[in-house]
Amino acid sequence: MSIVTSAPVDVLITLVSDIGLQGEFAPRTLEVTNEFLRTMEQDGTESLRIEIADILNARNEPLIGGGQMEITCKDGVVVPVIAYSLTLAPAFSECARGIEQLAAGTPLSIKISTKSLRCNKCGRLLPDKDGICPVCVNRNRTFFRIAGYLRPYTKQALTLVALSLCTTAVNLVPPVLQGHLIDAVFTKHQHIGILFQTIGVWAVVIVITALLQIAAGRTTAYLAGSIAADLRAAVFQAIELLQVSYFDKKQVGSITSRVTQDTDRVWGFLVDGLPYLASNSLLFLGITGMLLVTNWRLALAVMAPVPLMLVLSAISWGSISRLYFKVGQKWARFHMHLNEALTGIRVVKIFAREDAEMQKFRSRNGDLRTAGIEADTRWFTVFGAMTLLVASGQLINWIVGGEMVYGHQITLGQFVRVNSYIAMVYGPLQWFGDLNQWFSRAMAGAERIFEVIDAETEPYAKNDLHPAIVGRVIFDGVRFGYDKSNPVINGLSFVAEPGEMIGLVGKSGAGKSTTINLLCRFYEPDAGTITIDDVDYCEYELQALRRQVGVVLQDPFLFNGTIAENIAYARPEAGFMEIVAAARQANAHHFILAKTDGYDTLVGEKGAQLSGGERQRISIARAILHNPRILILDEATSAVDVETERQIQEALANLVKGRTTFAIAHRLSTLRNADRLIVLEKGRIVEIGTHNELLEKQGVFYNLVKTQSQVTQIMEVGD
Amino acid sequence: MTEETLSPSDLCLFCFPDSQLRLTVKNDYSYTAVKPVWAAPMRYPGQYLALLDGKGNEICLLQDPNTLDGGSLAAVQRVLRKRTLTAVLTAINTVTVEYGATYWNVETDRGCRDFVTVNLQETAHWLSDHHLLLCDVDGNRFEIQDSAMLDSRSRALLAKAL
Repeated sequence: MSIVTSAPVDVLITLVSDIGLQGEFAPRTLEVTNEFLRTMEQDGTESLRIEIADILNARNEPLIGGGQMEITCKDGVVVPVIAYSLTLAPAFSECARGIEQLAAGTPLSIKISTKSLRCNKCGRLLPDKDGICPVCVNRNRTFFRIAGYLRPYTKQALTLVALSLCTTAVNLVPPVLQGHLIDAVFTKHQHIGILFQTIGVWAVVIVITALLQIAAGRTTAYLAGSIAADLRAAVFQAIELLQVSYFDKKQVGSITSRVTQDTDRVWGFLVDGLPYLASNSLLFLGITGMLLVTNWRLALAVMAPVPLMLVLSAISWGSISRLYFKVGQKWARFHMHLNEALTGIRVVKIFAREDAEMQKFRSRNGDLRTAGIEADTRWFTVFGAMTLLVASGQLINWIVGGEMVYGHQITLGQFVRVNSYIAMVYGPLQWFGDLNQWFSRAMAGAERIFEVIDAETEPYAKNDLHPAIVGRVIFDGVRFGYDKSNPVINGLSFVAEPGEMIGLVGKSGAGKSTTINLLCRFYEPDAGTITIDDVDYCEYELQALRRQVGVVLQDPFLFNGTIAENIAYARPEAGFMEIVAAARQANAHHFILAKTDGYDTLVGEKGAQLSGGERQRISIARAILHNPRILILDEATSAVDVETERQIQEALANLVKGRTTFAIAHRLSTLRNADRLIVLEKGRIVEIGTHNELLEKQGVFYNLVKTQSQVTQIMEVGD
Repeated sequence: MTEETLSPSDLCLFCFPDSQLRLTVKNDYSYTAVKPVWAAPMRYPGQYLALLDGKGNEICLLQDPNTLDGGSLAAVQRVLRKRTLTAVLTAINTVTVEYGATYWNVETDRGCRDFVTVNLQETAHWLSDHHLLLCDVDGNRFEIQDSAMLDSRSRALLAKAL
């Protein structure tokens, strides 16, 4: 270790790591210049220096819970340079690429992103780098955002509020009538006719209240159904547009619960909560006014517990909200397991693991129960305290009001009126407590919903290029990693001419499926470009591009519906004879006709009513009808018997004609007809050529074929 | 010699240069670059250590690495320590659960650290009754080897968060 005393150097890259020399959490700096790289310790000492001219390559070596930059020197020695947490791994990985560029004497061309790790406002770490701080996000914004779902139904919502207001106003009348009856008829013994007149008015009030309630109920039903549907649609639409990488990180059950549980909570609040918030607020004000008019001293006395109720409500707000958020999380976990257990029911049964799955279910169910009980217990405790305060209000009325009646300061009628209003004033106040719970649940649900809605979508609207594609595909220096610090495709370059069939070959993990994923633009390259017909494919409108790409997978996914609907999935407007023609080309027509309902046969969930070979041929028919310019065959014949494979091969031969085709097959003999084979190893091309050329070359492909034929022989002997 | 027949006493592991683990198999051959990896670090912590060669192929799998001789064990442990950046949590200073994110300030064997977790039902893994592994939003790992051994305040904060 030496103290830096050298003259200032032209530093090209400076990165600060968060792991110190001894593995402790401490800053360490990496500096890269044109001549050397060095690491600097906190005290300014230089702990390592390597000349760029001595470097053979640089890479990010994944460690457990972090990474380490390693330099391989030209003398073969591997030098660990600097360790860092996973938070910083992508930046250091990009830096390693830059070091390799400098070592190769090429211009430095890297992009090290400097994303914010902390919130600028509160300083908290951000859950998503450069993302929104969930603490600083405006709560009112969330509230108004969910209230925005009422906008298409403004008329109905206002009607509901108006109906509620009318109900409120009408509800204020009976206590007045009660007081009037007691004072005028029972106390002063005036004309008995007043009794019947007053009761007549009361009866009218009751009828009007009932009519108002019916109208309000009907409006609520309409609003509830509509808003629930809108919310579910909004979440589902957001899910449909999400990046594929989102689904890599989240489980299906967890997403499903947002479409069901969380949307339910939000619409419940919107439909039941918001209109009643308005009407109950006015009811509270109206009653307060009536109480003050009746006797202001008594009014102030009976409403003394109100501030306490408000304080209690405010205190319990946060904790109850958190508990209901936890309930939402438990629901997601519960859904996740339920989804998995149902989807894999055959596997569960075949391995006789019903008891284990039941045990797992009990555990999830137990967690949900515990969380639910905890949240509800807290809520009902607060509710109980509220009830106590309500009761104390009535007691105060009997003490203070009773004394006033006894001292002739107020009439018995006024006392009864106040007593009735107390029940009514504390009703809305208790309801505000309910609102707290309602609001907490709804906000928790809304946040989980908006987490999906706000997640980064695929770049659908990025560009608007809709050209007819011929099918010339060029990969130029493409680099990509699911984890940005560990590229699985590294500098991939090749050209596929229109109509050419390219076979992608390599061991598992070589990068074949990733190449296909990039081609489908499920992911975009981290570096380099993919062009189609000499235009960067990112310039194309995403759906326009995908309409030109067809995929036949090893385990084709069919939707629950008829065979005809599945074949026409990509072109629903296709005529029946077009569907039949596609099925004929896919060698599927024959077996379809053999079924009782022919093309109207229901395939069941995921096509469960069909055999693997049948599903495969329907997926080929689907691809034929889709008529893409670029076709991807991903292990399309690997899961079927020999006869079915022959039929599928014939179908595929029809399908690939005139299309640029990329085929992956572990059974290498099935790629014999490919125009060229690209052999991948660790994300790089190691060989390109025809089947025969590569066999003659006796390189990597030759060894793969040889190994496979040996394995096949062993399996045959085993059989 | 196959991996099945290798016995810990046949193995001599040492570091040369400082960062590179090497292996000499008794009366046989040597490996110039050896990478030790745990085969099942969560289910069987401290057991089943695989030694891989420079190409990532398995040389052998040691059920109990402690059966290696002292020098070899020390060399392996040294490299493992460098390859493992998981922080062992010794105390929890603060935990704040806010709107789906959990903010932690903790003491670890590597020093004090702030980190944030989301979706704890998927990112907190109980490896046994008291052994917990937390993964933050970036995948960094924080291990609580025995939650029962934490101080009472830390235990209360952990219970609050989980």
